Amino acid sequence: MRFEEELVELLPRLRRFARGLTRHQSDADDLCQAAIERALRSRDQWQSGTRLDSWMYRITRNLWIDERRAAGRRGVHTPIDDAVTQVAGEGAAEVEAGALRGDVDGAMARLPDEQREVAMLVLVEGYAYREAAEILEVPVGTVTSRLARGREALMFYLGEAA
Amino acid sequence: MSFDPATVAAFVDGELDDLTARRIEREAATDTALAAEIARHRALKARLKAHYAPIVEEAVPERLGALLVVDDEVDTSLVDRRSAARARFSGIHWGAIAASLIFGLTIGLRPWTPAADVAIDDGTLVAAGPLAEALDTQLASTQPSDAAVRIMLSFEDKTGRYCRSFESRAIDGIGCREQDRWQIERTLPGQTRGDYRQASSGELAAAAAAMMKRDALDAGGERAARDAGWVQH
Repeated sequence: MRFEEELVELLPRLRRFARGLTRHQSDADDLCQAAIERALRSRDQWQSGTRLDSWMYRITRNLWIDERRAAGRRGVHTPIDDAVTQVAGEGAAEVEAGALRGDVDGAMARLPDEQREVAMLVLVEGYAYREAAEILEVPVGTVTSRLARGREALMFYLGEAA
Repeated sequence: MSFDPATVAAFVDGELDDLTARRIEREAATDTALAAEIARHRALKARLKAHYAPIVEEAVPERLGALLVVDDEVDTSLVDRRSAARARFSGIHWGAIAASLIFGLTIGLRPWTPAADVAIDDGTLVAAGPLAEALDTQLASTQPSDAAVRIMLSFEDKTGRYCRSFESRAIDGIGCREQDRWQIERTLPGQTRGDYRQASSGELAAAAAAMMKRDALDAGGERAARDAGWVQH
């Protein structure tokens, strides 16, 4: 199958992954657009016969990280991601979890970026740990530990029965 | 429970070797704490998958599809000129793809089928009419966002049957394939009661997760199961 055709087939899934990363529809589609443009520019770097999906997910995720870093330099603050690391006492966390029960978007928004991207790749997109590690360019052990922390947080926010 | 949390999670993710996976399955049959932990992990996965599944069914915005339409009218300034020239002979026509998809789905849904969703057959509640048709043929990965019956998750249950959770206007539930028919195992009020929507999706996903033998089928697995007539081989 031709490069563009494969990309077209991949688009619905790529939009889902981008939505998980950015958490907003228009941001996600902007990210997809940037990823497609990057892929078309660097198509020579993709080796035919290797998996286009992993390559596209990697491009998308790296563009997102670049965007987040640039936003950080511009001083755009993202307090929501810090909330998890600064637990304000168990009582407050319980109250927050209670308010979030059933709200998958809210629960995912409270994960740090590196846990959210692993949760999207493994739990939603269904990638194997090794594949997720290749997309994220980290060791498999990093994937499993981030996934374990992300899972626990999601179960906590969404309630025991998830 | 003799398995650490990481191993249980790896089991649910399909990351264990067959031998260890079988040991966990065997032990879960008698160890209720282990079984509950597995169910908790499966419920989370099912919940997340169900939550993000509708995005895949959304129409892709034209501005994205247009980037991949290769013909003379498209600005290819971002694209390597050589590859554009190479590709021009077999351009993709986004509208044609969308049109053929809609056409295929319309045929699959058979809008003229009588509109009774369930029937009693030999004392058992079974899917009928459009619901049976949707359970037989409709794929979650390709169904239109306004389909009358929406297939949520397809999976193999612990007794080896294929089951599919669905939402429709009249009824939400889970149908399991048994003797050429879809036995309705769980039911919830359908979309006519707006307030129920959020709760029922979660409840349905949790009920499905509790019935699953392993993860829900992915798009490829769902298609293969349908093509095989929903019987195990």
